Amino acid sequence: MEILDTYYSRDEYVETASGNKVSRQTVLCGSQNIVLNGKVIVQSGAIIRGDLANVRTGRYCIISKGAVIRPPFKQFSKGVAFFPLHIGDHVFVGEGAIVSAASVGSYVYIGKNAVIGRRCVLKDCCIIEDGAILPPETTVASFMRYTAAGTIEGGQGNPDHVPPAMQDQMVDFTKSFYEHFRSNA
Amino acid sequence: MDNSVKIMPKAIVCEESVLRGDITISPGCIIHTSATIIAECGPIILGENCIVEEYATIINKNASEEAEAGGNALIIGTNNVFEVGCHVQAKKIGENNIFECKSYVSPAVSVSSGCVIGAGCRLLAAQTLPEHTVIYSKNCLQRDAMEKQSQALQIESLRKILPNYHHLKKATFDAKKIRGQV
Repeated sequence: MEILDTYYSRDEYVETASGNKVSRQTVLCGSQNIVLNGKVIVQSGAIIRGDLANVRTGRYCIISKGAVIRPPFKQFSKGVAFFPLHIGDHVFVGEGAIVSAASVGSYVYIGKNAVIGRRCVLKDCCIIEDGAILPPETTVASFMRYTAAGTIEGGQGNPDHVPPAMQDQMVDFTKSFYEHFRSNA
Repeated sequence: MDNSVKIMPKAIVCEESVLRGDITISPGCIIHTSATIIAECGPIILGENCIVEEYATIINKNASEEAEAGGNALIIGTNNVFEVGCHVQAKKIGENNIFECKSYVSPAVSVSSGCVIGAGCRLLAAQTLPEHTVIYSKNCLQRDAMEKQSQALQIESLRKILPNYHHLKKATFDAKKIRGQV
């Protein structure tokens, strides 16, 4: 899979020593609680709420324009606690998606304008379709596809709901996205 | 559009939020960063202990004639939650409502009290939601709320966390001072 070069202006993005490319037009709250593990792209308008709890992403994650990464909270009889949010490696978060999951595995594809409710668990290699809405505390198992209609498809004997070699494809996709995300200077 | 934003003491309003027009924010409200409140066709009065999250948009679009006769202010009751990315233009909003992520409420709708507008639901047609209505799922089905929920605890913890991480807008309106002048 070959991806066309996308260019960004050198003034807009900050590139860190570990290869993270972070737009200046993002809102990173509580940046001391946000760990981007290298080669992560955070595009303009994205919000990461590190002030509520720790947020950790693996390598080669892509957080697209206008996405909101927001640690979930749970209400107890005495007060509310915010939980840390962990995202694995090679995860793509589409434009305008809202991720309030407890954990997101590796090689996960989250489509445009998807809403991941509070304390959802997304296991490795699953797909969330564009515009899908996950109710709070949903678990999506590995190799499953959560459709925009609100059903979980896949499972044994039903192999075609994620592409074959999903893991390799996501590795290729996120790596080539990173490599083709170039500054215009 | 004149910018006369009244922020009462004890409200937490992040510096990066967008507030335009004649807006009153009551004590105990929490406005997160990048929330948008636009008093386009008349003032907006936000009741006590409301939470407005990121990318939530509240617009006053009460432009119809009947609204003008009775004043075109958008009065929002107490204890409402506007979650991430919701877009609310309702005529009237009561108390204890929750507008979940990416919901949309058109200017023709008035919302009473104790309602929940589910994630991604769009309310377009002119209607008045009865009390304790829950709108849910893709097809915007309606049911009555069985459980009562409150976000008082959430407000409490946000009130502790947010001032540590954000620049806040200062309170611009002090009820005590007014009393002093009289």
